[in-house]
Amino acid sequence: MVDFLDELEACVPALRRYARALTRNIDHADDLVQDCLERAISRRGLFRPSGPLRPWLFTILVNLHRNARRAEQRRGTHLDADSLPDLGMPAPQHSHLALAELSRAIDGLPLEQKETLLLVTLEGMAYAEAASILDIPLGTLMSRLGRARANLRLSTGDTQEPHLRSVK
Amino acid sequence: MTEVTRDTLMAYLDGQLDGDAMAAVDTWLAANPDAAIELAQMQRQGEAINTLFGPVATEPVPPRLNPHRLALAQSRRRWQGVARAAMLVGVLGIGIAAGWLLRPAADSPALHNRLIADAVSAHTVFVAENRHAVEVGSAETDHLTSWLSNRLGTGLAMPDLATAGFSFLGGRLLPAPAIPGGRAAQLMYEDSAGERVTLYITPRTGVDGPSLELVRLGDDNALYWANATITCTIVGPQSAETLQALADSVFAQLTPSLATGSEYRPI
Repeated sequence: MVDFLDELEACVPALRRYARALTRNIDHADDLVQDCLERAISRRGLFRPSGPLRPWLFTILVNLHRNARRAEQRRGTHLDADSLPDLGMPAPQHSHLALAELSRAIDGLPLEQKETLLLVTLEGMAYAEAASILDIPLGTLMSRLGRARANLRLSTGDTQEPHLRSVK
Repeated sequence: MTEVTRDTLMAYLDGQLDGDAMAAVDTWLAANPDAAIELAQMQRQGEAINTLFGPVATEPVPPRLNPHRLALAQSRRRWQGVARAAMLVGVLGIGIAAGWLLRPAADSPALHNRLIADAVSAHTVFVAENRHAVEVGSAETDHLTSWLSNRLGTGLAMPDLATAGFSFLGGRLLPAPAIPGGRAAQLMYEDSAGERVTLYITPRTGVDGPSLELVRLGDDNALYWANATITCTIVGPQSAETLQALADSVFAQLTPSLATGSEYRPI
């Protein structure tokens, strides 16, 4: 029991990071994480997987986020897509403006591409793990990833920018 | 050297290839500068995404996301569910007993008892909530006052119980099932130890019965009183004396003109 909660606690920072990137809103993101944790705690007896908790938690989070989005669309409310996210401290090689542009571009991606891209690039998941979290075949994951990256390049106009060099 | 597909290139970028496969891509990239540029762009994207959102993981985690705390709250709620079920059985018993005892008195003899039962049910349900304990928070007291006054059809101020050590959390509109088409206001207060007390207020219209009643239900006490305009049931785990003191203060603030009247008598 305590082990379970400790393991859960260790996953919270990553869940927050992923939720923040999905929603770009600190309150919505933390609400999502809280719902996810509460669900995990109440289901720990019946549905808890035998392996590590991380993929299971991300599956719950992704599903909760999809449900929330659906409910939002039914209600007809629309989140302000231009509201600037909490950008944190940008690294010197990325201008603040370019990051804001990228953030908006990510927000404009179809949800399935956004989910996939963030699991792989932000959470550093293996393809197989990400595919099992999203419950899709590996090939589908790869094609979503490819489309997400191509779409981002298009919408941020990255094609003219120079090759990234380390500043250090 | 065979053609390297975009999927392989992505797998290379995402660190999903083993050493041999990586070396093969390295060789291929050296001969395909266009692909190398494209790969660098994808890499740049990934780095920017991590710059944007990576720092979130190092932010201090708010207490509400602590799994130990959440598990505790959940087991508390579960236990309260059992207590609530037991209490409802008790409330039902009281309703039946009161109905039987007062059977010849009036058309709806147990109405005030049903109001008490409704007040206790509403108390039990909402004090267990953390994020949704109230519908309108104390920050919007003015709005709450005008809204609830309109819905109840009677002027309703939000009593200030700060001197008794209770801070106002807010309130909500509820159905009052005991009265056909009836509405009730529930106001919630909390003391420094986190113990909560609620007021369940309805218009007096159509409510007969005594003007004062004290009932103990499970772990909670309920103090009911009525005057010419409203009924109010105070519910909480506090002692009867504490509730009585709160009732005096509430009564004086809700209906100042009647505070010295004869209808309301301290126990």
